Amino acid sequence: MTIVVAYADTPPGHAAVAAAVTESREGETVVIVPAVRGERVPDVGELAAGWPGLAGRVEVERGDLGDPSDTVIQVSQRLDARLIVLGLRTRTPVGKLVFGSTAQRILLDATCPVLAVKPAVAAT
Amino acid sequence: MTEAAFSALASLADPSLLIMLAVGVVAGLVIGLIPGLGGTGAVAILLPITFGMDPEPALAMLIGALAVVHTSDTVAAVLLGAPGSASASVTMLDGYSMARQGQAKRALSLAFLSSMAGGLIGAVGLTLAIPLARPLVLSFGSPELFMLTILGVSLAAVLSRGNVVKGLTAGLLGLLLGLVGTSPTTAEERFSFGSLFLSDGISLVAVALGVFGLAEIASRVGQRRVTEKPVELSGGWGSGIREWITHWTHVIRGALIGIWAGVLPGVGATAGTWLAYGQAVATAKDKRKFGKGDPRGIVGPESANNSVEAGDLIPTFLFGIPGGVPSAMLLGMLLTYGIQPGPAIVTDHLDLMYLIVWAFAIASVAGAFLCFLATGSLAKLTKVPFAVLGPGLLVVMLLGAFQEGGQLGDLWVMVALGVAGFFLKATGMPRAPFLIGFVLAIPMERYYYLTASLYDGASWVARPGVLAFAALLVAPVLWSLVKRLRRASGSVDDGHRDEHASADEDADELEGSLARTPWSLGVAVAAVLLFAGALWVSGSFSDEAQLMPRLVALGGLAAAGVLTWQEIRARRRGAARGGDRAVDAPAGSSGATMLATRVEPRLDARALARRHDLMVGARTFAAMAVFLVLVMVGGYLAATLVFTPLFLLYAARTRPRTAIIYTLVLGAVLLALPSLLPVDLPMGLLQ
Repeated sequence: MTIVVAYADTPPGHAAVAAAVTESREGETVVIVPAVRGERVPDVGELAAGWPGLAGRVEVERGDLGDPSDTVIQVSQRLDARLIVLGLRTRTPVGKLVFGSTAQRILLDATCPVLAVKPAVAAT
Repeated sequence: MTEAAFSALASLADPSLLIMLAVGVVAGLVIGLIPGLGGTGAVAILLPITFGMDPEPALAMLIGALAVVHTSDTVAAVLLGAPGSASASVTMLDGYSMARQGQAKRALSLAFLSSMAGGLIGAVGLTLAIPLARPLVLSFGSPELFMLTILGVSLAAVLSRGNVVKGLTAGLLGLLLGLVGTSPTTAEERFSFGSLFLSDGISLVAVALGVFGLAEIASRVGQRRVTEKPVELSGGWGSGIREWITHWTHVIRGALIGIWAGVLPGVGATAGTWLAYGQAVATAKDKRKFGKGDPRGIVGPESANNSVEAGDLIPTFLFGIPGGVPSAMLLGMLLTYGIQPGPAIVTDHLDLMYLIVWAFAIASVAGAFLCFLATGSLAKLTKVPFAVLGPGLLVVMLLGAFQEGGQLGDLWVMVALGVAGFFLKATGMPRAPFLIGFVLAIPMERYYYLTASLYDGASWVARPGVLAFAALLVAPVLWSLVKRLRRASGSVDDGHRDEHASADEDADELEGSLARTPWSLGVAVAAVLLFAGALWVSGSFSDEAQLMPRLVALGGLAAAGVLTWQEIRARRRGAARGGDRAVDAPAGSSGATMLATRVEPRLDARALARRHDLMVGARTFAAMAVFLVLVMVGGYLAATLVFTPLFLLYAARTRPRTAIIYTLVLGAVLLALPSLLPVDLPMGLLQ
């Protein structure tokens, strides 16, 4: 089984990876999907250096689609993932209204359970 | 209403119109097959041929071509993985994967049928738009039309992809170029520098063919060749046809998105197609197969890219505001016939409107049918390298620009604008607002003076139509602000719904390849200097003639100034980042070193490719200049006979036999043209 992480190089994104590490079972693959358009794709070595628990069982998948939320869903469906982990940041309802939300679209469209985590309060 | 529609259909029974329509369809299909020429190329190449024809056959031919270009451009995308036009790169995602799984015929039949349906729905949209918009259009006075022209330019600037400031700068540059010539209100010459030739204004065909046509040739001649072998045409047509019927909702949705994208100025086939793909993905429950051969990824976008061209025509004919580049050229063509698009066309030329609708619908069906029949043999055309087509296209395009005014000066202007277009393209400046600005400059000024003299003071501003347009004008500005804010706060949950932004880049190698280099800074500075010069020169005009140039130059100065500042800031930040990396690399963590070693060679390769592109561009433009000199000396035919073999042998490196046959055929065509069509060849000094 696999766990898919909607990754971003931000505190919520890091929190998501950390949550995926603790959630994953022994030997389970963790697939990192970059979920911010135009951001640099992290490489496996870098991720294993940041989260030693991931070493040897982390993969990076970019998907074939332009929209980040569609990409996350697509990868999770292709790999038949057990769980999607994504990081949320604090937002007011008005901010949500104006900016739209990748997270919301993942939550609504996902065909497997989704774990939404927030970074520790001090980190934001 | 309906009588007009059916009498237009009856007029299409006229064999000469049908022949022109058929010629247009075949030409459009062939142009679509050739990678790199889309709807813009189709109109650009056929437009010159129509000079001297009556408006009806001319329109039948151009509309016929425009309607089917996006039907056949799929062939190269599916079989070769090299899109026939930028908008077919979307179909490539799923179509090429499907073809590699041995289902090329399934992919192609899905695409052809969707294209046909898209074209038909587009034609229906165009038909419905006429009665819906008619009362609205007829209620417009000059204040509304003035606002519409402003709206046209600014929407094109804001909505074309990339940086808004770049779009505005390009739009204002186009407006400035459009003001060259005699002022419509005071009959004094502006920016003509005493030249009789410039006092006529610059010909639209020269601008369009230069900025788009020649720039395209120059950037494609050096294109790395497609080395991949085409996928075999396998699988059955039947399965695709059956499957297509089950996806009919996607066809209709795609077509509606296409029409909408077409109506908006500056949003062309490419963006519309990506939008359709995005919505197909977003609304699908099972996204697993997208990008790996999902039929829904072919059906929606293919239907959208045909209906975009019909949508483009709606604002073009009803309001006189071109929705895209091909329709800007059509608008220019109508103007040369003395047909003023806008309210007048609805009252005086309704039959022409319906002729266009019918031509579009018939061409869509015929185009799809021909594609089914001939794909097997026509697919070979997609393998012809662009360098071989270059000289033929060049000769045809230059001949076309000569037809409008019969002056060699137009050709020099065209080559100069070709150079400008090349740099605009390479530095990622959108060229659609440039052309739309150029076309709308004079109408904008005329409507303004009509408004100012018909209404006292600013009372026209309070007209409801004007207020509505002003509101529309503010909306895109707000939208672009929101977009910028979104980009600034990039994080996991920022939903960018615009599909085309990132995926477009790999569709075209040159597009934006010079962005963030000294060249793009140079383009920005050149724009500043141009606007400053225009401001200075316009000081000598009379008050009435001064207003528009002044406003355009001031606005342009501001936009180009901001652009320069952005470029400088980006360069400084880039330099700082480069410095950091150099410090980091020896000592830093494993990640940083890996990054540093991985990035550098790629940068080098990009710089090399950039230099290669620039060299090829420079050589091609030099060749064009040499050709023009030859024309001045020896006339068009002699120049072609000398230039074509030299270019083919040295630039395209073809075999001598090909070069000789090519030259002879081209020469024979040039010799035969004046007797077949009302075309004049430029004469040289020695003739």
